[in-house]
Amino acid sequence: MAPKKAQSHTAPSAQSASSTPAKSSSKSSGNALDAQEIVLGVWNKYVEKTPQRVKLLDCFMLFLAVVGALQFLYCIIVGNFPFNAFLAGFSACVGQFVLTASLRIQTNPENKKEFETTSPERAFADYVFGSFLLHFFCVNFIN
Amino acid sequence: MRGLFSVLLLALVSAVSAVSSTGGRLLVVLEEHSEREKYGVFFGDLEARGFHLTIESPKSESLSLFKHGERAYDHTILLPGKSKGLGPALTANTLLDFMKKEGNILIALSSDHAIPTSIHSTLLELDIHIPSDKGALVVDHFNHDSNKAAEKHDVLLLPFPQALKPNVKNYFAGEGLIAVPQAVGQTLGNESPLLAPILRAPNTAYSYNPKDEADIVEDPFAVGSQLNLVSAMQAHNSARLTVVGSAEMLQNAWFAEKATLAGKAVKTANRDFAARLTEWTFKETGVVKVGKLIHYQDEGVSKKMNTSLAIPEHNPTIYRIKSDVNFQIEISEYSQDRLAPFLPAPGDHVQLEFSMLSPFHRLNLSPISQTANSTIFGVSFKTPDQHGIFNFRVNYRRPFLTSIEEKRQVTVRHFAHDEWPRSWQISGAWVWIGGIWVTVAGFVAFVAVWLYSAPTEKSVKKTQ
Repeated sequence: MAPKKAQSHTAPSAQSASSTPAKSSSKSSGNALDAQEIVLGVWNKYVEKTPQRVKLLDCFMLFLAVVGALQFLYCIIVGNFPFNAFLAGFSACVGQFVLTASLRIQTNPENKKEFETTSPERAFADYVFGSFLLHFFCVNFIN
Repeated sequence: MRGLFSVLLLALVSAVSAVSSTGGRLLVVLEEHSEREKYGVFFGDLEARGFHLTIESPKSESLSLFKHGERAYDHTILLPGKSKGLGPALTANTLLDFMKKEGNILIALSSDHAIPTSIHSTLLELDIHIPSDKGALVVDHFNHDSNKAAEKHDVLLLPFPQALKPNVKNYFAGEGLIAVPQAVGQTLGNESPLLAPILRAPNTAYSYNPKDEADIVEDPFAVGSQLNLVSAMQAHNSARLTVVGSAEMLQNAWFAEKATLAGKAVKTANRDFAARLTEWTFKETGVVKVGKLIHYQDEGVSKKMNTSLAIPEHNPTIYRIKSDVNFQIEISEYSQDRLAPFLPAPGDHVQLEFSMLSPFHRLNLSPISQTANSTIFGVSFKTPDQHGIFNFRVNYRRPFLTSIEEKRQVTVRHFAHDEWPRSWQISGAWVWIGGIWVTVAGFVAFVAVWLYSAPTEKSVKKTQ
């Protein structure tokens, strides 16, 4: 959710910025090329404008989503025999993802107005504490 | 000194118990004292086996089956007499009370004598039916003794009985032929599982009353093998009652008599059969006894090696679901004068039920070892996945054997929180364990990179 949101947040500005040159240069080329250029534009804008820490957060969230999806896939294919193990493993991923998303919202410079009382350092400390709690619960739950 | 004393004590004990498993006081109810001679060999055999015979007439005033509310005798033989009643000491009620106190009764009938009403109603109470008309007897035109009953065909010559069913022990086996003169046939009710025939009439036999003048027997009391010459009843408390259709077969005259069956000269083996019959009725055979009963948790090889005690704790009151349990029961059988190892008939099994209301397990117990006078049966099984109050139950009831009814109550609890297998012991969980630790490792790496990237981040911010 969060990275998409972030992308869509940055998308309009990126689109508006890159749409005029794209339209003028490749009018004759097909719709597919058009879409490709839009995506490319979005990507370039993202790479260019996003702060490094937010990129790092997005990377980590992508990693978590992949790990979670793999666990879920394994559960579907092989079965959920030690069900508590599946719940622990999968919820570790989901919980970490949610915590990371919260951190991303709180530390994103674009949201500064909304979190004036919460400094990025404070948000990070909360995040680390919450993560430890989550890991503790998951490890105990899997027994 | 002590050893000598114990040997003496043992000798004393064995001398006392060298008779029936329940005692040796035997009452013989015989009306005519003069008839005593006729049963001389029969009584002699009983005395030789250790019974103390008291011969009383039913008319005797001192005759009583009970004394101070307890049995005065352990066993009773009722022999037929001339009079129609047996008197106030031997009513149907007293006979049944005697059986309720675990006394054994052998009733001998005879077609020559009237059957007393008290015996009639006792038998009716037990669902054993005898012909109501006096003088009815069993005849067989094919298996009779042509020596003594050439005309009347009322002395049957029969082989010793076979086992009642293939998987039931036969306590009445023997060699030779049994002569059954002038027998009163009995039929057994279908309802009672306590009744069992000992000696059945052959297929060609039938019961009729010679006083009927008709040439053809119409509507006979019973025919063929539904007619029993000797039948038995064993009550739930294992008291035994045997009905012998012909008292004459217990008399000296037929104990080792020359007879002729279908032209062949044979010798009757009534003495043997009478011995088998009284042995069973007076509980010298077919008595099973339960010794030690143990059950314990099977700890497995690895745990046994760790503990110094080789024997696990016996008969615990609590077990866990899905744990291995071992059960052992020691059963002996009384045979003539001592306890011998008991083995069920081939094809038969003693079974253990592990039950809560209904059995969750019903398992065959197999003999695992034998001592001098008992067999140890055992089985090991896994407790079911159900917690609650369970019973180890052995309920063994077979024809001609005293019943075994043993029950031990135990609690079966569910897993304690630390008894579940750890996650890494289940290979299926490894993927998800991996999932957790990859997440944790990812988190640690992320935190490291995050902290490392802090200054550049700030500079980026500033440039923006």
